Amino acid sequence: MAVIDGYAGKIAYVNLTKGSIEIQETPADLKKNYLGGRGFGTKIISDRMDPLVDPLSPDNILVIASSPLTGTGIPLGSRYMVSTKSPLNNTLMSANSGGTFGWKIKKAGFDAVVFEGRAEKPVYLYLNEGKAELRDATSYWGLDVHQTTDALIADLGDKKAKVACIGPAGEKQSLLACVMNDRDRAAGRSGAGAVLGSKNVKAVVATGELRIDEADKDGLNAVKERIRKKLDENGICQALTTYGTAVLVNIINENGILPTKNFQSAHFAGAEKVSGERLAETFLKKNSGCFACTVRCSRICEVDGIIGEGPEYEPMWGFGADLGIDDLKTVIQAAWECNKLGLDAVGTPTAIACAMEMREKGYITEGPQFGNPEGIVELVRQMGLREGFGAELTDGSYRFAERHGYPELSMSVKKQDLPAYDPRGLQGHGLSYATSVRGGDHVYGYMVSPEVLGAPEKLDPFVNDGKATWTRIFQDLTAAIDASGMCLFSSFALNADDYADLTAATTGISMDGAALLKIGERIWNLQKLFNIKVGYTKADDTLPARLLNDPIKEGGPKGRVWEREPLLSEYYTERGWDAEGVPTQEKLRELGLE
Amino acid sequence: MKITVKSFATLRDHMDAEFAIEIQESATIADLLTMLTERYPKLEGEIFLEDGTLKDFVNILLNGRNIAFIKGLDSILSEGDRIALFPPAGGG
Ligand code: SF4
Repeated sequence: MAVIDGYAGKIAYVNLTKGSIEIQETPADLKKNYLGGRGFGTKIISDRMDPLVDPLSPDNILVIASSPLTGTGIPLGSRYMVSTKSPLNNTLMSANSGGTFGWKIKKAGFDAVVFEGRAEKPVYLYLNEGKAELRDATSYWGLDVHQTTDALIADLGDKKAKVACIGPAGEKQSLLACVMNDRDRAAGRSGAGAVLGSKNVKAVVATGELRIDEADKDGLNAVKERIRKKLDENGICQALTTYGTAVLVNIINENGILPTKNFQSAHFAGAEKVSGERLAETFLKKNSGCFACTVRCSRICEVDGIIGEGPEYEPMWGFGADLGIDDLKTVIQAAWECNKLGLDAVGTPTAIACAMEMREKGYITEGPQFGNPEGIVELVRQMGLREGFGAELTDGSYRFAERHGYPELSMSVKKQDLPAYDPRGLQGHGLSYATSVRGGDHVYGYMVSPEVLGAPEKLDPFVNDGKATWTRIFQDLTAAIDASGMCLFSSFALNADDYADLTAATTGISMDGAALLKIGERIWNLQKLFNIKVGYTKADDTLPARLLNDPIKEGGPKGRVWEREPLLSEYYTERGWDAEGVPTQEKLRELGLE
Repeated sequence: MKITVKSFATLRDHMDAEFAIEIQESATIADLLTMLTERYPKLEGEIFLEDGTLKDFVNILLNGRNIAFIKGLDSILSEGDRIALFPPAGGG
């Protein structure tokens, strides 16, 4: 008899070179030690793959994994993750996305799909109630994300089918390519779309109505009620409903940490014009949300008669302040273009910002210029198609800046661009950037939450004391949340015990908050071990020179830089790693990773 | 002395978005909030709990620095100061 534990119970191993698929039961120890999502991806890749493979070769493995809490009707339980060796920076990356696709993979009978090899011709994977099949995708190759999604659903005549796919950017193996699902949701960073492109996989389609039961339904209902109340009463979650993530533009700007013109400044005079408040007054039509979400933070906007989803805070900042552009229409259209083409909506504008600074400094003589919205949407299109000047930028700011001899102008950590928070005014968040196991990133340990928003408590952003501990806990908790299937925004209202209670009632695996954090820590260390094997060292756990040496010029954090020490040493100690940032044998034994 | 006040997000439903205000020398943030809640009565319920303390996740910046790390509601104002008032809000 099947186990009743919130899992679909099967993993499909797809060998694209051979065109064969093997379906296996989801192993019990994988569930127990890694939960799902990011945990599954990290463990499966670590076990099956030599870390030194070329990420764009058939030897790389890409895992799409759902999670036990996904699709169970738990509010904000909507996520799936895409994991692979990143072609952008060689890390073992795992990117999160919401919508309905993660739920549907389970209804189609699968916890995860593992891609290996390379198909000879474009294919898509069709999942339907326990069956998995590779199908010809030649006719979809070349279509954008929206066209691909709509065409697949129309051709199958199945409106309930859910699609994850790559756009032209993935086909062209842009190192900024995402995996997109439900048209506008992105597993956005680290170039996973390029890996699918290199494998000739255009899409995964999931359909079906299989029933998935939880281990302790009554228990789960009680916990659901408790967390629903917490989410409903949480002020930050309420504001997400009203304004979406874009409300941050003004908050971060007023705090003097809104990176402007490629991090040359941390305050943007035009912020109000490209803020969440302005969006709400102008282009916003309504909000929407992922599967079973009670917060519904997504924005639906209308521009010139066209209705689209987004923008989120990151592209609002990226195409706004980071480019010195205060034209909201351009910002929205550029963010939409990223979604259509399947481009990372953080790395795309930041690559443009880097080019703008090089142009400003006279290091290049053509290309976009700060403050000028003209041609930006077209440049994004070119990046997605690897055409014209866009071809120069489509592998991210680091490649571009390095090719021209100015790698220091790439505002990246481990070749992945930093998002929308200047760490010179945020000691803990800077530590999170420097040590993130997939490079420059804000969703692997969002220290902005305590340092700016005050959740779960207010921490002074300028102070180093205690930040190593907080950062570790945030990183581990995030890894566990990414494995559980919950949206990270739930963490504004919930704590480790809440997630543990949800997980225990769903899976029947007994655990408390500490055990849940241990799973997160195990995932984090496994990603770290992979990165060490590909050659990352302590020297890479740092920030761009500008953020270490050039003080912020105005506002609250005026005069500040990010202080690498003592933060980094304290962090390594806190993690039980040696002075070079390598996990000790003792730590690995404790986590069952020896 | 004169200071400037800015409000954000849902607070703008209850008060002006940006304005200058005259206040007595050495006034505190608490004094300012008393003036503001008199002028904009609905503001009180948005930022204060019934016991008169600030609600969770309400943030007030004095010249870009959170008052929680200065002297809280007792932080003293000076001529030309810039105040930013945020209701609970965030994202990622
Ligand atoms: S809070 Fe936003 S991102 Fe998270 S599940 Fe809800 S709608 Fe999706």
